[in-house]
Amino acid sequence: MEILLRIEGISKSFGSVRALNDVSFEIFQNESVGLVGDNGAGKSTLLKILSGNYLPDKGDIYLNGIKVNFDSPIDAKKMGIETVYQDLLLCTNLNSISNLFIGREITKNYPGLKILQKRKMGEKTFEIMKKFGINIPSLKERVEFLSGGERQAVALGRFVEWGQNLALLDEPTAALGVRETRKVLDLISKIKKEKEELSMIIVSHNIQQVLEVTDRIIVLRNGSIVGIRDKISTSPEEIVGLITGAISI
Amino acid sequence: MISCTVIFSVTIDGFFNIRNYVNILSNSAFIGILAVGESYCLISGNMDLSFESVAGYSAIFSAWLTGSSLSSSGFDMNPYIALVLCLLVGMIVGLVNSYLILKLKISSFLATLSIYIVVKGLAITLTRGAGVSMLPDSFRLVQTIKIFNISLIPIIMIVIYIIFYFILENTQFGAHLFIIGGNIDAAYSFGVNVKRIISRVFLLSGALAALTGWLITAKANGANPTMASGMLMEVLAAVVIGGVSLKGGSGSLPGVFAGVLLLSSIRSALNIMAISPFITEVIRGLLVLFAIIIDSIKRLYLK
Repeated sequence: MEILLRIEGISKSFGSVRALNDVSFEIFQNESVGLVGDNGAGKSTLLKILSGNYLPDKGDIYLNGIKVNFDSPIDAKKMGIETVYQDLLLCTNLNSISNLFIGREITKNYPGLKILQKRKMGEKTFEIMKKFGINIPSLKERVEFLSGGERQAVALGRFVEWGQNLALLDEPTAALGVRETRKVLDLISKIKKEKEELSMIIVSHNIQQVLEVTDRIIVLRNGSIVGIRDKISTSPEEIVGLITGAISI
Repeated sequence: MISCTVIFSVTIDGFFNIRNYVNILSNSAFIGILAVGESYCLISGNMDLSFESVAGYSAIFSAWLTGSSLSSSGFDMNPYIALVLCLLVGMIVGLVNSYLILKLKISSFLATLSIYIVVKGLAITLTRGAGVSMLPDSFRLVQTIKIFNISLIPIIMIVIYIIFYFILENTQFGAHLFIIGGNIDAAYSFGVNVKRIISRVFLLSGALAALTGWLITAKANGANPTMASGMLMEVLAAVVIGGVSLKGGSGSLPGVFAGVLLLSSIRSALNIMAISPFITEVIRGLLVLFAIIIDSIKRLYLK
């Protein structure tokens, strides 16, 4: 397998707080990696560096062997890195179709005028939803009337279509009920199977879930990596031990 | 809106009359055009309070440029060149607004409130408070040319509504307005050019306000520096009755148009009933409140 993403010696401080300390790891193509750790371990900071929201103080990021610099989320998107944020970043005042196409509306361009191709956008949305078995009662319903799981599905639908290299998922099941969580996990597994070129990094508090949908797990504590474990050779107990510091290396 | 018209038509003698409807349309033109700009601002999650004084400035400025009475500039300018200058002024004000909001991160309410006061002052300074009359005849063409007995001014309003409705519903720019108004973080993260869109919104709002001011002068055949006063609250009322959310992200121009006509109908009904002018403001205010309450009840219970 080829290495998709390599990060080397990433450090980031906020004032006197060291959020990340010399973090290095690799992610292979079509690999799902879980990123776990306690609150304040640096998961979100790391995710935000990869999504282009933060600049690291030190360290390099290589994508497909080429060094990259993300000055903004748009830069990261251009390189095929999509992020599903914890708050989903949906426009609840708009329908699923509009949300799927935020900033990427299909348009017919005339000089000074970009006309929306609403029908094409609707058809494409339907296609994506069908392909991944996402079931939303009406695509034209405003998102504020959708359930938590359906909202998550709309947010996931975005990177299904546009994430070419890497998808970053921040707590995808945090606010969901049991059944909805199940659906979202199934969806993540399905996306992994269908999109062979796509890798994923999933941040979560729930170790059971992470073990279910990922291949490897990276454990952070106090801004440093304290362990990288393969799914087959580890147990939830070991991961918890690493997170809390009960197991030290 | 329709039910209100029906009620007025049935209950008030002389309301059901084509001429009255034409009047309602004509009287709503200025508020109507201003409401388009304000709707765009509100949908994008901003508020523009400066349009009233921009319209007022544009009214006195165009009269000052073209008129030949004592307090005019003496330029005797062609009114259509004056229109271009007015539009430029309106767009400059729009640019200043968006600079304050985007670069200095001032809330749109405060930024446009200060600009409102400044521009209002400029309008009074221009002619030292005096009015200007004796405008060239060509200035009045929009008022004197009539199609089916309707002057060009309400027709211009309708054309503006059609164009801006199309832009809002069918272009990427329109879609981005709703996105920015709905969730500005999502807009940033997904690569929507928030700054460009918002500055364009204020440019448009300024230009529409300037056009309105010019039309006000054309209709009145003269101007004084306080021509447009009172329109700010009227426009806000019309826009809110029309279903535009003050929180941003929702609203439609047909709704706003209905709101504008409703306000105009109320005014017309009160006129026809010959109610004492001292009490009409109170009644109008209460009717506006009534309309808003009905709308709110509708939203609470029909969900």
